[in-house]
Amino acid sequence: MKSKQTPTWIILNILKWVLLITLLAVAVLPVVWLLISSLRTNLELQVSPFGWPEKFQWKNYLTALSMASLPRLLLNSVVVAASAVIVNTIVTAMGSFILSREQFKGRDVIYTILTAGVLVPVISFMVPYFSLITKTGLYNHLSALVLVYTAVNIPVSIFLVTAFMKSIPKELEEASIIDGCGFFRRFSQIILPLSRSGLVTAATFCFIYSWNEFVMAMLLTSSIESRTIQLGIKFFTSQFITDYSSMYAAVIITIIPSVGGYIFLHDKIIGGLTAGGVKG
Amino acid sequence: MQAVGTRNSRVWAGRILFLLPVSLFFIFFFIYPFLFTLATSFTNWRGIGSMKFNGLANYKKLLLDPTFRKALINNIIWALSQGFIQVPLACLIAMILVRKPKGWRFLRTAYYLPNVISTVALAMVWVAIYNVNGPLNAILGVFGMEPKNWLGNPDTALFSVIFQTVIYIGYFMIILLASAMNISRSLYEAAEIDGASTIQQEIHITLPMLRGPLVTTMTLAMAYGMRHFESTFLMTGGGPAYATTTMGIDLYLKMDALRYSEASTAGVFLILMGTVVITVLRKLLGKSDPMSEMAQ
Repeated sequence: MKSKQTPTWIILNILKWVLLITLLAVAVLPVVWLLISSLRTNLELQVSPFGWPEKFQWKNYLTALSMASLPRLLLNSVVVAASAVIVNTIVTAMGSFILSREQFKGRDVIYTILTAGVLVPVISFMVPYFSLITKTGLYNHLSALVLVYTAVNIPVSIFLVTAFMKSIPKELEEASIIDGCGFFRRFSQIILPLSRSGLVTAATFCFIYSWNEFVMAMLLTSSIESRTIQLGIKFFTSQFITDYSSMYAAVIITIIPSVGGYIFLHDKIIGGLTAGGVKG
Repeated sequence: MQAVGTRNSRVWAGRILFLLPVSLFFIFFFIYPFLFTLATSFTNWRGIGSMKFNGLANYKKLLLDPTFRKALINNIIWALSQGFIQVPLACLIAMILVRKPKGWRFLRTAYYLPNVISTVALAMVWVAIYNVNGPLNAILGVFGMEPKNWLGNPDTALFSVIFQTVIYIGYFMIILLASAMNISRSLYEAAEIDGASTIQQEIHITLPMLRGPLVTTMTLAMAYGMRHFESTFLMTGGGPAYATTTMGIDLYLKMDALRYSEASTAGVFLILMGTVVITVLRKLLGKSDPMSEMAQ
């Protein structure tokens, strides 16, 4: 290594770190800035966009939670995201079990069609989704969002979970067949417990998507009773127009679940992202 | 014989039962919407009232519509920026991180962080960053630059919204990094013995070995560019003066104006352009398997 410390090497090394740190700053500083700003007073914010709070204004968070229907919107988001994750996980586990552990003609065709769904730009379906949801009387109901979020995540979930279930050794299942295990017991007692890790990865992606989704929520709901927190911070913050620090506190509250989930499960998420990449 | 038949039919009943939920979701939320979009794009449907077939009238109207043309051009700029700036930058970072510099795991995790934060929250922060009195102008002011209204000026708005997306390389970087880690170390050791410098190793070993994943990520990035909607919608709404509009935003505005069949036509275009990007790139750049890496 020593022999490499020529002037060119030193310059390239410096450039490398400048690049790495610049991109790190762009990725992390917006959140840090938001966090610090949420703890300052409005007066401090007006004087300068940067700066350390003289005293941490934790009450900004209380203000945020007491105004703008925030608790209701948060609750809606929790209900929608949790339901979508549960429905998506059940539906995907069942489908992936057949697509990975059963042999029959047409299986690969079904798998290809289902996963090809990721190639479709879902925003091009705004009109049909709106029409479908209105016709079925689900407009402005949380269940509309649960259905859409479940569906939109199916291609990704099927891809991840089927790949995971395929990696389970055949011998484990064969032993259970000899023991006389039926179809349902094979699923519930052998494959399902063994695929827990793959299911958690798919569920995490589904949760982050559902928690953060904005466009469909805007399209399919119209009142506070059924709107999610993302719409809340976009539209209902008008009450905060002069109270930026509380608005920033509200935004911080909304990113805690997804960022918190990421910090705890980042290995699973990165593993999920590269599940296909390793093959390429 | 009887017993085998019953067993077989029970197995099939199980298979169908297990595939039914996922299939129903797929039919209602992918196949039906696709056929619905395609069918209504040839009509004069406005949500209420009768629906009349009007052939290619919507397509003609759309192609002559200057706003839609502007949107299409912007989407092409988006696709090129994501394919030829975002992905190469992601590749460069992956090539650096694969050599495991200090803190590479932390950097890998941190670079993906923006991808788990909602577009609404990020857009809010970036609107503040781009504000005339915001941090960006404050920093540039140190170097003597005049403050700019980044998002409010038609000349800088498109560049500003694209920059906000292109600078976040985490997703593509993680895919490329995983592939780079799979390259056999022995190739580099052999090159080292032959006296190849680090940069020569990167150009002659890493890049050729990453060809497949690079084609995949570029295809993906350009397909995303073609369907871009959310962050622009939230930061500028397509303005000022349609400077940042995209096909997705055009579709949304048409739908909002109850011009449903025209919105459907824009939707068909969106799907079509994405398909064109994927097919053309695969033909031009050779074999890759976008399917296996589409999991976002």
